[in-house]
Amino acid sequence: MDATVLLALQAVLSGILVGGVYGILSIGLSLAFGVMRIVNFAHGELVMYGMYVGVVASRNFGVDPLAILPLSFLLTALVGTLMYQIVFRHFVGHATLQQLLAAIGCALVLQMIAQIIFGADARTASSVFAGQYVVFGPFFVAKVQMIAFAVAAVVTLAVELMLRLSAWGKSVRAVADDLEAAEVVGINSQYINTGAFALACGLAGMAGSVLVTYFPTAPSVGFSLMPIIIIATTIGGLGSIGGTFLGGICCGIIQQVTAMMWNSALQDVPLYVLLLVFIALRPTGLFGVRSE
Amino acid sequence: MENRSAAPSVVSSQPLDGARWRSLAAYVVPIVIVAALPLLPFVNNYIIAATVRALIFISLGQAWNVVAGIGGQLSLGHGVFLGLGCYTTGILFNRYGIPPWIGGWVGMLISLVVALIMGSMTLRMRGVFFALATVAVSLALVQIALHFVDLTGGGDGLALKFFGNSLWAMQSRAPAPFLYGSLAFVVGYYWLTRWVLASDFGLAMQAVRDDEVAAAAAGVAVFRTKVVGFMLSAAMTALAAVLYMQFYMAIDPEAAFGLSQAIQLQLPALLGGLGTAPGPVIGGAVMIFLSEVTNWGSTKLGVNGVDILVYGLMLLAVILRAPKGIVGLIFKNALAGSSR
Repeated sequence: MDATVLLALQAVLSGILVGGVYGILSIGLSLAFGVMRIVNFAHGELVMYGMYVGVVASRNFGVDPLAILPLSFLLTALVGTLMYQIVFRHFVGHATLQQLLAAIGCALVLQMIAQIIFGADARTASSVFAGQYVVFGPFFVAKVQMIAFAVAAVVTLAVELMLRLSAWGKSVRAVADDLEAAEVVGINSQYINTGAFALACGLAGMAGSVLVTYFPTAPSVGFSLMPIIIIATTIGGLGSIGGTFLGGICCGIIQQVTAMMWNSALQDVPLYVLLLVFIALRPTGLFGVRSE
Repeated sequence: MENRSAAPSVVSSQPLDGARWRSLAAYVVPIVIVAALPLLPFVNNYIIAATVRALIFISLGQAWNVVAGIGGQLSLGHGVFLGLGCYTTGILFNRYGIPPWIGGWVGMLISLVVALIMGSMTLRMRGVFFALATVAVSLALVQIALHFVDLTGGGDGLALKFFGNSLWAMQSRAPAPFLYGSLAFVVGYYWLTRWVLASDFGLAMQAVRDDEVAAAAAGVAVFRTKVVGFMLSAAMTALAAVLYMQFYMAIDPEAAFGLSQAIQLQLPALLGGLGTAPGPVIGGAVMIFLSEVTNWGSTKLGVNGVDILVYGLMLLAVILRAPKGIVGLIFKNALAGSSR
């Protein structure tokens, strides 16, 4: 095969693997929007906390970050519950200017608490799979990325199935569709919303612990991840879990192809252009729910 | 958004003598105090420089207030226009010797064009998508500015060539000339905001902010109103950016387009009172005062980032407890009749 074609295929392959992780990073944001119309700009900060959980586990206790996913889920879900009870419960139903600003306020507070606790410098965690590569014919992929992708795909599928099949998931979807009607049939919407928001935040933390196996963390990492999370969610469709996961994969492929075929410093610029095009022409994304 | 159009009428034009004198004093006295600062015995350059910082952020905050406070459109990427203004004047001056007196207008024109394009693409949608798009554009510009090192200086930033005290280059060793320049901006933008609030166009913006459907039904061209409001705010930001660039003498991609800078552009209006003319003035003064105090405190404690933590807490406190900002707290009684 032609070398350029091989390079392009390699780029697409690593794009899919990276993109799966962008997908799991983004599904929490999409869930919170789909159920409560909350755009949580502090989502990236929760990912950052999940990454620090991985760092502490790996550095201080010698535990692989991938082994403590349930713990980082629980811890960030707890932070999410607090955030919901203090701030976001006032803003359910409409993504207003005040709600977006409140989310930014939360993001600043969470980021600076992390900076005061952990310091501003970048930290890494190491996984047992770090530095190992798998070779398929002419292609090679890092083992951590394969495992991260597998975890992301399984978690996304599990969340999607839970929302579709379980009784709790049905109440969540009922509240999302029509809050008042759901309350009439006996669903406690505050209880359901708190749970859904905690789930969204827990997913962010878990995604962080997956990401930290190959990506260093710092207090500012939450802000720097937010663009890709926003783009993946918008392309896939705010509110759709599976769509957001596919949006993440699209982002990963576009980013990696740009980086390998054109210029790695400008790898995200086509994504920003794509975001503007989607917002102008199809703001609901590929699979999104209608927004007010 | 609730109706805040009543706030500016606090300084009303009704012929009540006592109230009129008080309202006149309310804006003449601060101007006189700031203008007389360099003459006072205990005032050193540090205090003057802090005052200039406050005045610059008041001007920038007033510009953001037009699109967000009056127009109700949450631009999270106003750093775009600050950065375009700074980089345009800086590059024109360093490379071609064009003074900021001209470069500033070029930066403003570029910002108008960018705002027109951004606005036309994203303002047809309601609410959240405009906010997301502005974030995306500002972060894309961070990457672009980092990449074109020849033009922008990359991550090291762009420093103006220093000419000493020079009116032509709009440069000065002492901060006092900037005090008068930025004071002129604050006064000018205050009156511009007052004028916009009272004009037909400003009323259309507020109608769109309060209820798009009702505004459209009443014959307001919703989309055009939003785009023009965004362009006005962008032009005001880019022009005030000249002041920022000449005072700080340097700009880098994070300081221009980064999210934390965008938040500093929003805080004056948010703290003071969104959609009011005095809001950004009071809020900007409070913001810079608090940041000076916390900077001093965090150096003493040896902890970084306390100022941003305080900004975040202030933002949350204002939104949850005092959505009308400090102006709303002060003029609670004056507003009581009109709030719904």
